[in-house]
Amino acid sequence: MRLNDNRMDALNMPEWLLTDENYSPPNDRDTFVNKSILSFLSILARIKTQDSSETGKYGISAIFKVAFTFMLILLLSLSRSFVFVMIINVYLIVILSLMKAEDIVKILKVSLVMSLFTFILLLPAAFWGNSSSTILITGKVFATITVVNILSRTTKWTSITGALKKFFVPDLFILVLDITIKYIVMLGDFALSMLYALKLRSVGKNKSKYTALSGIGGTLFIKSKEMAEDMYIAMECRGFTGEYHVYNNFKFTIADFGYIMINVGIIVLFVYFGRI
Amino acid sequence: MIEIKDVSFSYSGVNALNNINLSIEDGEAVALMGANGSGKSTLLKLINGIISPDRGVYKFNNEEITAKELKDPIFAKRLHQKIGFVFQNSDTQLFCADVYDEIAFGPRQMGISESDVEQRVNDCLNLLNIQDFKHRQPYHLSGGEKRKVAIASVLVLNPEVLVLDEPMNGLDPRTQRWLVEFLVKLNQAGKTLIISTHSLELVPELSSRAILFGENHTIAADMPTEKLLDDVDLLKRVNLVDEYYHSHAGKDHKHFHDHSF
Repeated sequence: MRLNDNRMDALNMPEWLLTDENYSPPNDRDTFVNKSILSFLSILARIKTQDSSETGKYGISAIFKVAFTFMLILLLSLSRSFVFVMIINVYLIVILSLMKAEDIVKILKVSLVMSLFTFILLLPAAFWGNSSSTILITGKVFATITVVNILSRTTKWTSITGALKKFFVPDLFILVLDITIKYIVMLGDFALSMLYALKLRSVGKNKSKYTALSGIGGTLFIKSKEMAEDMYIAMECRGFTGEYHVYNNFKFTIADFGYIMINVGIIVLFVYFGRI
Repeated sequence: MIEIKDVSFSYSGVNALNNINLSIEDGEAVALMGANGSGKSTLLKLINGIISPDRGVYKFNNEEITAKELKDPIFAKRLHQKIGFVFQNSDTQLFCADVYDEIAFGPRQMGISESDVEQRVNDCLNLLNIQDFKHRQPYHLSGGEKRKVAIASVLVLNPEVLVLDEPMNGLDPRTQRWLVEFLVKLNQAGKTLIISTHSLELVPELSSRAILFGENHTIAADMPTEKLLDDVDLLKRVNLVDEYYHSHAGKDHKHFHDHSF
């Protein structure tokens, strides 16, 4: 479109703004922005999905889940029984099979990759005749990573931090954890929007890609500092004096009882296989 | 110019756009209205090629915009030059050391000479009346100044379409008034405008056509702005206004205000 000169003068617009831009973008290697966007999206999606995870899908309290997950990790690391480690692995796979297909794939992906990595690291030991330890340690790694991922996928992080209260973790420490999770999401959303803006305005060959990225980093830092100051002032206004009380309306259910029984069974198995 | 047919989009299974159909002609000014979370911002992201439809067809200048096409950097860059996006939060759009560099960021990549870049930047500084901030850091400007810099940084690319996500948010009445007049001028100069807004009193001045989103993420109405604003029942139905909102269609003016206090 091209307006006549009188019209242009009346609108007080520069000429270049009133003509069609005949522009063909050059090729540029800037996949880094797309990759950064994708990684931010996956982290944010992971946190947001986690936030909607059903804490009480099987009615088990987060307190017991956290306690027995730590216990299981401890027993796995102490055990020298191949049978015990395999039983735990089977138990965890049974739990996995009750979860959503998407979660199963994601958990197994991490567990299998880490187990494979451990196995490769231990291969020299296997060649020197210590194959049983190689399999045992690989099995322990698989079980440990699977159990932590099951906890993370089936329990809201706020419930996990809330459960820490029962283990005498100071309230202020729980507050810091809660705020950290909250601000990862908020600053992540902000960073994602900045990356979108960078992408939309990168219409050609950008000779200073890393300057733009450092600009985003700098703005994020200022933003986080501002948010921290705002929150500090807001908390003071709400009467915060340095004490933070975590309230937990814990109720013992039949599912908790069943879960405790299973874990007592695991302890019995650990002792039994430890003795033979 | 823009054609959207049966488009749906969801974020991780949560519906954001549901069977959207609309077309926007070259040089039109269109206002997108709707309650929070009704899908306006998602539609703007789709128009800008930040996301692509799960279902349906989106065409810009008779070219279909798909996820596959957007993976081609040259295609994506051409689209981004033709459609400029002004974000709701100006802070997210500004990442350069000073206002001049911020505005020059886009044109410097377009292969035009530095003197032409300077010309364009100075023109934009004058148009938006921000010459005095030329060497200031964008982050230390006020909300209204940041919004002007963000608009300048997009306008300098000379896009055919200017998409603005709630541009009046957080601005004082005087800056809002200035921005309305500026956008009207841009539209008169031939730029296509797509504006999402909650400022009911300013919509009739910004555009003659309004698209109203329902809470089910569909288009509840697509009609002349005046007619839409008269249909208070419809506005109530989509939860955009409450029972206290009404208009005085007087001789000289028409506005919406709240009698609940």
